[in-house]
Amino acid sequence: MSILSLDNIKKDYGRVQALKGVSFNVPKGTVFGILGPNGSGKTTMLGIIMDILKPTSGSYKLLGEVPNENHRRQIGTFLETPNFYHYLSAERNLKIAAAVKGRGEEDIPRVLEMVNLTQRKDSRFSTYSLGMKQRLAIASCLLGNPEVLILDEPTNGLDPVGIAEIRSLIKKLHQEGKTIIMASHLLDEVEKVCTHVAILKKGELVTTGNVNEILANEDIVEVGAADIAKLKLSIQKLSGFTAIDIQNNMVQLNYPIGSVNLESINQHCFNDGVVLNHLLIKKKSLESKFMELTN
Amino acid sequence: MFKLLNIEWLKIKNYNAFIILSSFFALGVVTVNYIVFLVNKNMISQVDAAKVMGSFSPYNFDKTWQTTSYASGWLLLLPALLLIILVTNEFTFRTHRQNIIDGWSRQQFIHVKIVLAILTAIFSTTLVFITAFSFGLLSGSSFSTYGISHVGFFFLKALSYNMIAVLISVLIRRTGFAIGVFFIYMGLENFISQLLDVWSIRLRSQNNIDLGSMGDYLPMNSADGMLTFPENPLKSFAKGALPTDYPWLVLGLAVGYLVLFYWWSVNRMVKTDL
Repeated sequence: MSILSLDNIKKDYGRVQALKGVSFNVPKGTVFGILGPNGSGKTTMLGIIMDILKPTSGSYKLLGEVPNENHRRQIGTFLETPNFYHYLSAERNLKIAAAVKGRGEEDIPRVLEMVNLTQRKDSRFSTYSLGMKQRLAIASCLLGNPEVLILDEPTNGLDPVGIAEIRSLIKKLHQEGKTIIMASHLLDEVEKVCTHVAILKKGELVTTGNVNEILANEDIVEVGAADIAKLKLSIQKLSGFTAIDIQNNMVQLNYPIGSVNLESINQHCFNDGVVLNHLLIKKKSLESKFMELTN
Repeated sequence: MFKLLNIEWLKIKNYNAFIILSSFFALGVVTVNYIVFLVNKNMISQVDAAKVMGSFSPYNFDKTWQTTSYASGWLLLLPALLLIILVTNEFTFRTHRQNIIDGWSRQQFIHVKIVLAILTAIFSTTLVFITAFSFGLLSGSSFSTYGISHVGFFFLKALSYNMIAVLISVLIRRTGFAIGVFFIYMGLENFISQLLDVWSIRLRSQNNIDLGSMGDYLPMNSADGMLTFPENPLKSFAKGALPTDYPWLVLGLAVGYLVLFYWWSVNRMVKTDL
């Protein structure tokens, strides 16, 4: 069953098309990353799902049904910024959130403990640091132990320890069988935490699927020789690479991860009468993969 | 709705502006009426003018409902101001979005604010009722419900002010700006109202066309128009030159404007991006 299904969602702001017909499904039990650079439409899409923005056209389903406020109550959502009453304490803010969600107050101590805010539960929200505000927002999402969580840039403003804690919390929740939809512009975060991903670029869906397939890293082999023209001819005869990029004084070959054999490349070129002066294997960065997908 | 109101109570019960403005309003109603009561008792009744005006006493039971409602009406800015702060706070803190995200519908969000506006008007009116009753007893006159309809007009005025406050808050969203717009609108409407009143008098005296006091046909003034200071003999001298009052028309307009404010606020909240 799909937790969330989007069907050709479009959103226009005047002439600007923030979403240009986005469709995908979020399977149950996944950690589903929505990845894209700033301005790609991630938050707009989540805003539409949560009914704070109206789509120009298209439809969506939550938990397999046409959504209403009852579906939203079953989902813990943190969207864009931590939104709380500044003049109230963390605990009082959570009481309001629990009441709106239709949950009891008995869960408040547990979620405050999970995000390490028990000591500051009586402090006003306005006295909190950005990281504490972020953690309080995550605590609010966890109220009532929902089966589905939607988190928009959940590690924004957190220090490295806080980031690690939130990531391990997401993994733990996933192990408990929960579905987590997470928007992020951080590739590293998506790769470390998510099982599935949808990549957005300027309001369009670039691709969606399993993270290991979409963001699969490749090995890149750089090959150089004094006679670059002869090297190019020789390299063309090699097999097993997925892409070739011929530069001025070097050739770059892409291989599926773990399949490259430098010795055989060297031997092949030598047999062709090309003596290599440069042979280097390097991992393709996620950033370059992301740039490749979104450019 | 009770659950929703309970959540609203959680939001405001520890809010200083709520405590301060509510206290000011409650104290203000009692104080303003007490001042008028004392002025009448100790000054006006001692001068010869009182003899001209006959036995006019604004807090006798046949006048106390009208006097208290009229005098307290000036203080209705305070609950309206409080409502602007409470509603715009939701936009400032972006908790309007969070309430919807956490499981309220847009309809529930705006309707609980409107019910809050109605409850505020009911509390204000109850306070005025108690104050009018108390000053009626203090004046030493015998109990009467004559003129008690003015307490109802006070409720209408309170509700109008509160509904305008909610509408402006939903439209403007920023606290300071919304308060500014509220006051500017009040001033502007009063100014236009007075121009319309002058025009009404001219129409009647020069063209013999009597359209009533047209200044009372505007949103805030229609609710204001029902509340006047008790009739006294001095005012009746000028009556012949003034346009005819059409209280039912003014009352109908006031109710019509309330429906408009309600529809506009709900429509705005339900249909636009938050």
